[in-house]
Amino acid sequence: MAINNIYLQNEEISIEVNNLWKIFGDNVEKVLDSDTQFDGKTDILEKTGCVLAIKDVSFQVHRGEIFVLMGLSGSGKSTLVRCILRLIEPTAGKILINGENVCDCTAQQLTELRRHTISMVFQYFGLLPHRNILQNVAYGLKIRGMAKSKREAKAQEMIELVGLKGWESYLPSALSGGMQQRVGIARALSTDPEMLIMDEPFSGLDPLIRRQMQDELLDIQEKVHKTILFVTHDLHEALKLGNRIAIMKDGEIIQIGDPEEVITAPSDGYVREFVQDASPAKVLTAKRIMEQPNVLLYEWQGPKTAIHILESTELDNAFVLGRGSKFRGLVTVERLLEIIKGGGKSIMNALEPDLLRCTSDTIVEDLFPLAVSTRHPIPVVDDDGKFLGEIHTSTILGSMIQDKETELGD
Amino acid sequence: MIEFPAFIHVPLAEWTDAAMDWILRVFSGVFDVIGDAILFMLLYIEKFLLWLPWTLVIVLVGIVAWRATHRWWAGLLMAGFLVLIGSFGYWDLAMMTLAIVIAAVIISLLIGIPTGIAMARSNLVETIIRPILDAMQTMPSFVYLIPALMLFGLGKVPAVFATIIYAVPPVIRLTNVGIRQVSPDVIEASRSFGATPRQTLMEVQLPLAIPSIMVGINQTTMMALSMVVIASMIGARGLGLEVLLAINRIDIGRGFEAGISIVLLAIIIDRITAGLAPKQEHSASSS
Repeated sequence: MAINNIYLQNEEISIEVNNLWKIFGDNVEKVLDSDTQFDGKTDILEKTGCVLAIKDVSFQVHRGEIFVLMGLSGSGKSTLVRCILRLIEPTAGKILINGENVCDCTAQQLTELRRHTISMVFQYFGLLPHRNILQNVAYGLKIRGMAKSKREAKAQEMIELVGLKGWESYLPSALSGGMQQRVGIARALSTDPEMLIMDEPFSGLDPLIRRQMQDELLDIQEKVHKTILFVTHDLHEALKLGNRIAIMKDGEIIQIGDPEEVITAPSDGYVREFVQDASPAKVLTAKRIMEQPNVLLYEWQGPKTAIHILESTELDNAFVLGRGSKFRGLVTVERLLEIIKGGGKSIMNALEPDLLRCTSDTIVEDLFPLAVSTRHPIPVVDDDGKFLGEIHTSTILGSMIQDKETELGD
Repeated sequence: MIEFPAFIHVPLAEWTDAAMDWILRVFSGVFDVIGDAILFMLLYIEKFLLWLPWTLVIVLVGIVAWRATHRWWAGLLMAGFLVLIGSFGYWDLAMMTLAIVIAAVIISLLIGIPTGIAMARSNLVETIIRPILDAMQTMPSFVYLIPALMLFGLGKVPAVFATIIYAVPPVIRLTNVGIRQVSPDVIEASRSFGATPRQTLMEVQLPLAIPSIMVGINQTTMMALSMVVIASMIGARGLGLEVLLAINRIDIGRGFEAGISIVLLAIIIDRITAGLAPKQEHSASSS
């Protein structure tokens, strides 16, 4: 937790929501009145006739992160994100976009905010059925009053970014759901906004397409670096995409944390229930399960030294590092003996070709295919090529069982 | 307690008369101006239609009907209908009738589409206008022929006026419905990109309401045509007057010829206006 706080302080805040309330109905004051106590949503409905959609919600979204709002349908998450653009008027509270309170905006400032700062992607796409793909993508720019040739050039660029080149002149109805949502994403990106609000963008798509779209979103995010507020009811999606996750229930946020915190330390029964059907394979990262090898070889050691070390520890392979723990590769006893026979002086000649490796944030699920295709342990290497640890097939399987037990045990 | 007591009496008739008197006194100038404008427009349309050579009209109608319905035989049939009307000796009368219909429809659309838009954008406006439309459609048309007569005098103008009252409700209703049935998802998306209500109306709601509005225009046109016979009672010349005269003389053959001519005209106008309504699916790549 302490580490997380430091992380927060260092981040620039893009969206800040403070004590936001949204109540549908006529007796709003009665609900907000602190003198009367209510016992849950149904109690409020019975006593005042009001529907409480969002209850005193506060959170912050940092610049450049994907912040996921997760909750079951009816938990208020869609209402919440609509309040941010004031597509729905919030009842009370503050919404700061880059420090400016949206609730105080004039109609014109609001229009500017929607045209330039934040774009939205919708669950049901919201494409204009009478306009072709190019015109749909260019819509936000047209609204702004951009000249036709200019906006169409920009739209073309976005269509290519989402991989829909060649579909420009088709109507949305000719496209599959996944493709239509790509149009939705291209349209949102075309205005070059600072932030994206994505309201269950992939929920209507079948699982295979959904996974593919998630990967593509991550790829696109790599290129565009937007601040993204992502709404979903799917925990796996939240864990895959979110830098941080907020879990909503009955209009309240009940936990905010990074994926690992949410899955390993669910704040209450509700979150735990959510997390129960999350496979650890989708959450646990290589960093969490990797081990330090007993034996490491170094590139300046000769083949005979290496053989000696390996034989004395009864191993038949080991990783080779360079200076500064730079990862070099893996040697086996078999290969070393061949080198020695051939009179080789460096163990670098004995390195196994095409060795698989992973990074510290590779999730366990992605380690399975690696584990299947190699007899050797998998090295964990950071972005600079530094060796961090190793993972054995048995460790991967063990982690699945153990983590399941510690999570579900209590 | 069997008969309704006579002392409970709402003098609506007197009030209406008084209101009519007041309107005539105060607004007679206004109605003169409106009447002149309608007459001016009507005369030009009539002159133009009568000036056109009949051969050209028949060929044009044939081509337009063929284009609108995508069937060559429909074009031939419509052209044939016109020849038939001419052969009854009703060409000029048919053109006069058509002029009244066209003038009434143009004015109906000018009034009806903006009213429909206003209705769609405000529930209050809808609540107010809806009963008025109901009244316009259920009130027997003879009832407003008399005030129309008093406001504009005998002739074509009150006929156009009465026709408008009778024919304008469908286009108002269908414009309203067309705009209201546009998917809220699309409207929300449009708003989210910073479209003003006006932009959303022009870019999203109206284009998507066009099929519905076209049905409204079609209905309005048909109702205007059906009003022609009744309007002839206050002095509009045309096919309607022929029907009226035939009824007075119990001249079945003549009445049937004139009646059939109206029906043929109706079929031609219906097929053409219905065919012009855009079909969403077919205009695929129109960038």
